[in-house]
Amino acid sequence: MLTLPHRPLRIAAATALTLLIAALIAAVLWAILDAATDAASGSRVDIPHLLRMTSLQAGLTMVLSLLVGTALAWALNRLRFFGRDLVVGLFAAAIVTPGMVVAFGLLSIWGRNGWINQATESLFGIRFDSPAYGLSGILLAHVVLDGAFAARILLARLDSIPQNRLKVGQSLGLSAWQRFVLIDWPALRGSLPGLGAIIFLLAFTSFPIVLLLGGGPANQTLEVAIYTAVRLDFDLVGAVRLALTQIAVCSIVILLASAFTPVPSALSRSAQPSWRDAAPVRVLQWLVLVIGTIGFALPLLSVLYDGLASGLLRVLGQASFWRATLTSLVIGASSALVTLALALILSLGRSAAHLPAARTLLGVPAYAYLAVPAVVLSLGFFLLVRALGVPGGMAAPVVVIFANSLLSLPFAIATLGPPLDAILRSRGKLIRSLGLSGWRQFAAIEYPLIGRDIGLMLALAFCFSLGDLGVIALFGTQDFQTLPLLMYRALGSYKSNDAAAIAALLLIFTIAAFVGLPRLLERIAHAPRR
Amino acid sequence: MLRADDLVFAHPGQPASYRFTLEAAPGQVTAISGASGSGKSTLLDLLAGFVHPASGRLTLDGVDLLPLAPEARPVSLLLQADNLFEHLSAEENARLGLPRGTPKAEAQERVASALAEVGLAGFAGKPAATLSGGQKQRVALARTLLRARAVLLLDEPFSALDDETRRTTRDLVGELTRRHGWHTVLVSHHADDIAALAEAHYRIVEGRLERV
Repeated sequence: MLTLPHRPLRIAAATALTLLIAALIAAVLWAILDAATDAASGSRVDIPHLLRMTSLQAGLTMVLSLLVGTALAWALNRLRFFGRDLVVGLFAAAIVTPGMVVAFGLLSIWGRNGWINQATESLFGIRFDSPAYGLSGILLAHVVLDGAFAARILLARLDSIPQNRLKVGQSLGLSAWQRFVLIDWPALRGSLPGLGAIIFLLAFTSFPIVLLLGGGPANQTLEVAIYTAVRLDFDLVGAVRLALTQIAVCSIVILLASAFTPVPSALSRSAQPSWRDAAPVRVLQWLVLVIGTIGFALPLLSVLYDGLASGLLRVLGQASFWRATLTSLVIGASSALVTLALALILSLGRSAAHLPAARTLLGVPAYAYLAVPAVVLSLGFFLLVRALGVPGGMAAPVVVIFANSLLSLPFAIATLGPPLDAILRSRGKLIRSLGLSGWRQFAAIEYPLIGRDIGLMLALAFCFSLGDLGVIALFGTQDFQTLPLLMYRALGSYKSNDAAAIAALLLIFTIAAFVGLPRLLERIAHAPRR
Repeated sequence: MLRADDLVFAHPGQPASYRFTLEAAPGQVTAISGASGSGKSTLLDLLAGFVHPASGRLTLDGVDLLPLAPEARPVSLLLQADNLFEHLSAEENARLGLPRGTPKAEAQERVASALAEVGLAGFAGKPAATLSGGQKQRVALARTLLRARAVLLLDEPFSALDDETRRTTRDLVGELTRRHGWHTVLVSHHADDIAALAEAHYRIVEGRLERV
């Protein structure tokens, strides 16, 4: 352990914030439990069915996404071609692509009047049953998003295989299969359980995709059932029971997942020498890559094509669109800044703490969202605000900003924590010998080195907030709505051209933020690539 | 004889280039030394086929090696680390040196014999992850024996070993080179390793090999 100077202020600030977040989560849970015990009437929610359905789709999503992700990572690791970085960047963007946009894109391609049916009808006079609705649609959308996310994470694992190992393997003349079993698999298998747990939780708590593609109660998940119970059936007792079930299951999965290797969020570039597999295997790799890239990119391209071609001008002429855009941007920027403040306080405090128990304690807030997902968190805030007698309209913006910040916090801490720890490990002695502390330490050493990570974190938080439907769905009103809510309402009123245009603009905003913010912060901070 | 005649190579985007000429005789250790970044590992990469020269010739007993892919060259590698696959046993690691399709009974017998030759007779079933640094290098040497390739390239193979293990492993490499007639090329910046092991010694200065 390095003999670093004690940083009591950093640790105290992080501890105070941890306790504050814990108190807030406790208040939210209390509000949910209180509503459950107060309510006397019965409820019609079928929890066993919902639990079965949610677990089934989340389990299938996990298995299929890991298979697709492994195949894509394998192909991308082997192939070198012009535009490879673009494909890798495309898969990296999966984590921030709004679920609503992907769901809408899949409807454009695979829907009853989608591109596939239009093409087959005009060419062969045949129409297919749409696979975009029900369980198949949910799985398709989840695998498009989570398979691409898994591919990017697993590609980073393959790219970090030591060069010596590859040289030995190539020199031994390993076959493509031997290479996968002996070199790739040991590098991948450590990440699969943790990654699988994250994908399971993402699918288990998925909201907009199930709402749009679920096609009715038969395919509902707990998250959508909570929303339906609160907003449509006014069944608060049912919503509370569902929320408690959701929290229980998510907590169990998190407890199991915490035993696995954490999934890194910082992704390095590949610097491996090219070791080409045999020609037939390369054909297979190209096939996998082309299918995977088309599968991920085509729904997004269809969103841009449909949105920019049809209803764009009409939407741009609507005052409600501009109000929703402004609300989305203000909420996105605010929650990104709040997330940055929370993540920095927690990460700086955690890296300054020497005791393992203190480090564990300061890492707890990161799990808040995973245990208490968006719709449940919103329900808790909804009940809390009601119990405190605060008018909903007044509380809504603050609650939405804070709830969105909590949703981004695990990803923010995973982005900022490791580089801050690494700085102390590699430059701790230098910091001490120079007598740096407090703001000077942050401004002179830490900020320039994590500038790009701060940009990435801000981009993630901004995009999560921009694409969120789970929180706003419970708090939104006619006067307070974001772009995803406006899009959802346009779909509900059968204004599909308006919805397409909003989806396209949402996608453009997301890509611009995800690509632009890290570069901007890197430039502002003059941050070197580590 | 392993001969490199005027092998010219430059890393992409870097103006400095290398121009290597050397001879390595069978049954002898030829040492390469030089400052950090002088191009020692690049020379081994050229000999192994991981990078390709812009010009020059590379032959073994008159046979041109340059058109051959790394796996097809008569070359075995022993690096400083990562020589073994940690999740396999010593026996399974060594067996990778045998041609595919070798009958199981024959493979077992040959692996046992190779492990015995490097002094690891009782270690066949041990997972590689549980072996010491010196034992790992010996397993890699057993695999080299089974591959029966004429050229052995060593890249700082003793750097991670303690003094005693270093001496015994070094002696083993010298003994196996003489016994099997290998053309062994040793990259090292340790003068005592070179003095104890090498019959010929080149130093890389400004991208060229100079005979010492």
